[in-house]
Amino acid sequence: MEREEILSAIYHCAKCKLCSIASFHPSEEWLPLCPSGEFYGYQAFYAPGKLEIFREILEGELSEPSEGLLKAVYSCTLCGACYEKCKQITSVEIRLPELFEELREEMVKKGWALNVHKDIAKKIKETRNAYGEKYKYEAESTDRNADVLYYIGCTARYRVPEIADAMLQIFDKFGIKYQVMDDEWCCGSVLLRTGQVEEAKELMEHNVEEIKRSGAKTVVFTCPGCLMTFEKNYPDMGVELVHSTQFLTRLKGMKVKKLDMEVAYHDPCHLGRDLGIYEEPRAVLKEVANVKEMKREREQAWCCGSGGGVKSAFDEFALWSAVERIKEAKEAGAEALVSACPFCKRNLREAAEKEGKGMKVYDVVELVNRSLEE
Amino acid sequence: MMKTNETQTFLKFVQAIVGEENATNDRAICASYSRDQHWHFVPAKNPAYVVRPANKEEVRKVLMLANKEKIPVIPYSTGINVRGLTIPVHKGSILLDLSRMNRIMEINPEMKTATVEPGVTFGMLLEKTMKYKLRPAFPDAPLTVSVLANYYLRGIYQTSAVDGHDHTLSYEMVLPNGEIIKTGSRSLSEMPYFRYGVGPDFTGLFCAHPGTCGVVTELTAKLYRLYDNRKVYFVGFDDVNTPTKFIYNLMNDELAASIRLVDNQSWLKGICGTFDYAYEKLPKFVLCMLVEGVDGIFEAKDKLVRSYIKESGGKVLEFPEEFKRTFEEESLGGAEKSSMVFGLRGNYHCIGLYGPLTLAAKYYDLHEKTALEVGIPKDHVHFYLNPIYNFHGQLCYFELDIFYDGSDLGFGEKLRNYNQKQFQRLLDLGIYGWFRPYAGIIEPTVDRIGYLGEVWKNFLKVLDPNKIMNRGKLF
Ligand SMILES: Cc1cc2nc3c(=O)[nH]c(=O)nc-3n(C[C@H](O)[C@H](O)[C@H](O)COP(=O)(O)OP(=O)(O)OC[C@H]3O[C@@H](n4cnc5c(N)ncnc54)[C@H](O)[C@@H]3O)c2cc1C
Ligand code: SF4
Ligand code: SF4
Repeated sequence: MEREEILSAIYHCAKCKLCSIASFHPSEEWLPLCPSGEFYGYQAFYAPGKLEIFREILEGELSEPSEGLLKAVYSCTLCGACYEKCKQITSVEIRLPELFEELREEMVKKGWALNVHKDIAKKIKETRNAYGEKYKYEAESTDRNADVLYYIGCTARYRVPEIADAMLQIFDKFGIKYQVMDDEWCCGSVLLRTGQVEEAKELMEHNVEEIKRSGAKTVVFTCPGCLMTFEKNYPDMGVELVHSTQFLTRLKGMKVKKLDMEVAYHDPCHLGRDLGIYEEPRAVLKEVANVKEMKREREQAWCCGSGGGVKSAFDEFALWSAVERIKEAKEAGAEALVSACPFCKRNLREAAEKEGKGMKVYDVVELVNRSLEE
Repeated sequence: MMKTNETQTFLKFVQAIVGEENATNDRAICASYSRDQHWHFVPAKNPAYVVRPANKEEVRKVLMLANKEKIPVIPYSTGINVRGLTIPVHKGSILLDLSRMNRIMEINPEMKTATVEPGVTFGMLLEKTMKYKLRPAFPDAPLTVSVLANYYLRGIYQTSAVDGHDHTLSYEMVLPNGEIIKTGSRSLSEMPYFRYGVGPDFTGLFCAHPGTCGVVTELTAKLYRLYDNRKVYFVGFDDVNTPTKFIYNLMNDELAASIRLVDNQSWLKGICGTFDYAYEKLPKFVLCMLVEGVDGIFEAKDKLVRSYIKESGGKVLEFPEEFKRTFEEESLGGAEKSSMVFGLRGNYHCIGLYGPLTLAAKYYDLHEKTALEVGIPKDHVHFYLNPIYNFHGQLCYFELDIFYDGSDLGFGEKLRNYNQKQFQRLLDLGIYGWFRPYAGIIEPTVDRIGYLGEVWKNFLKVLDPNKIMNRGKLF
């Protein structure tokens, strides 16, 4: 974005702070929307405050990094809840998460990055995955010429492999031939979201090459962060990019045994607000469990708290945010909280364990896999 | 001006009061409070510290410390005043962010009152009062604004014309010297429900100053009934003058809860909740009305309203049901859509004033005239009229609005010219008073109020001899 365009967007913010709460009238309840603002409290942690910080940086008034600066800018989960609310109300083009990414890019250029984010970049450079793991998640293509390629993503490979396992088993149960990449590299999402744009370029080039070479026509993602990155930051590869839940809705004759389980569906930010995919996960989930809606959902869903590099940098806050979501699921009468994102699952599960309230956490594909008759 | 090491020492003292995480001089955190949408008039400026007290004892200690060191203090409840009122004037100021103090201390359905701390917003309060079929008097501001700050500013006009304009009953305020004063019956007993009877009307006396007199930590306000019976009407008019007789009748007979005359291109969009409608095909001005009441009275009021509509010379407009629902919500359920006006062109400027209904058309003509003179195009000129007092049916809140692109710096210059001319012209034409003590408005006013101006200054001198309550904009 050009400097003038950014400043213009900043000047359009009316500081009404409606972006900090969900629409009041539908529920007549005061429901906060901005996790970082709610947790830290200072104006700097809400969208309108961050815009002022950006303005001062662009206008040269803020010329030194400070603890508050790094915290305010990097504790934003880039969840986009503020933007969805703002555009509903004002219709002024203040594309907040994009602006906040720009802000981070600007800060990285000045050398104002967080050490933990730099460490992630280092790990990626060394191991090509965001967790610095040296081993390989075991998955084999069932057909090297298959039309379908499953892009697994770092988190499903190394932190919540049950999601990748479930997805692969679903392919098998449906008899769908698939490929996985022999040498899958991190998609670069974490680098792009933390402002380390240059560092992501090599990863993107590699993945594009590999996918082109595979000849696949459809790439399936269980990770909305990876999918969003491919959609938004990658060049057009002439292949179809779909989320697992979209892929599942297309499968005809899904013979499932509905589980006797009350579940709440958590909209992952990248899947919902960024990609507009709200219906498919619900449609799939409805087939396999009894779905309860939470108070904050779809465009106005409460973020799980882990995105935008927050989990690695501010874990206490990330877990607080997830605990808030778990409480909401409980209030909705759910015994399990189901998401469609490995990153959400990881954080929500950790929070559930910490909170000890007995809430189970799943990904949609896990429940589908469980309910699919062999 | 403090030196860096003195600043750090001062911060340590404040942190000892409110806790380390609740006071900072971090440059970026301070920057986030530096500007609001009124920046074409009140330029951005960073406070030197942001302090977030949790209770009145912490407020008291911070104020006493600031007073001792002669450091300006800006109370900030939610910061959405749209007039630069929480932007520091002086270097080295403390921004006292009171949003952590967000307890609803009491809702008393018998007395129809609510007692709140500064961080309580209209949304938070309404969520609780609705259970009793009660509501606060709402401004047309987003329901994210502080109830206490809104009432304390004493500039309130409200979305219900029958609420009158005195919603505040009593409050508790910490003065710069650390003394705590309580106004009204609160000063005598644990019953904060009556405003008068203890000498002068102190509740009113401390409100609506440029800057503030102290920090209000708790305020008791009236609540109003929510009725199940409601009916909404939209009536179109081609000019401002024609509907004034009609408005007078509605007010004089105490018939309608909400009455707003707006032009068809600005606030009406928020009232209806959408940008997407052929508003340009409507008559130029639309009177939006909401009738409510208990069984029997409601029907009688409605009958009268309909007969007044017939003789009003206006045209009843058939709007979709959802427009009616939105107007109801916006009027009696807390506004969310009024902020849509920012979406018209990206920012909004207005002069808000109180005046008699009979001058409505003259205010409008003057608005257009001055705007054109300073180079503001006609299609940027908008208008809002809201009668607010049944008693004589005459008192109205007027808003002379200009919607513009906030990123257009040249336009900011035009607006400043507009203000300079218009303040004087409105005073010449005759007004009851200004909506708020905002930048540029008090100076020409004080010139005209004679010895009262002196008394006012001396009053503030006694309360705040070190001038720490951010009064730099005037006295
Ligand atoms: C779209 C829109 C429409 C609006 N329409 C209306 C309307 O119809 N009617 C109306 O009345 N207002 C309206 N407003 C203005 C706004 O709502 C009020 O000015 C607001 O309630 C005050 O702002 P705040 O609550 O955020 O207080 P702040 O911005 O926090 O404070 C406002 C002033 O009060 C002082 N202050 C704050 N807290 C305290 C305290 N505890 N003790 C002492 N002083 C304090 C501050 O120093 C400052 O001078 C509108 C605003 C918007 C954005
Ligand atoms: S970002 Fe939008 S909703 Fe939030 S304060 Fe600014 S204008 Fe209001
Ligand atoms: S993107 Fe999410 S965390 Fe960041 S400011 Fe907006 S609502 Fe808050």
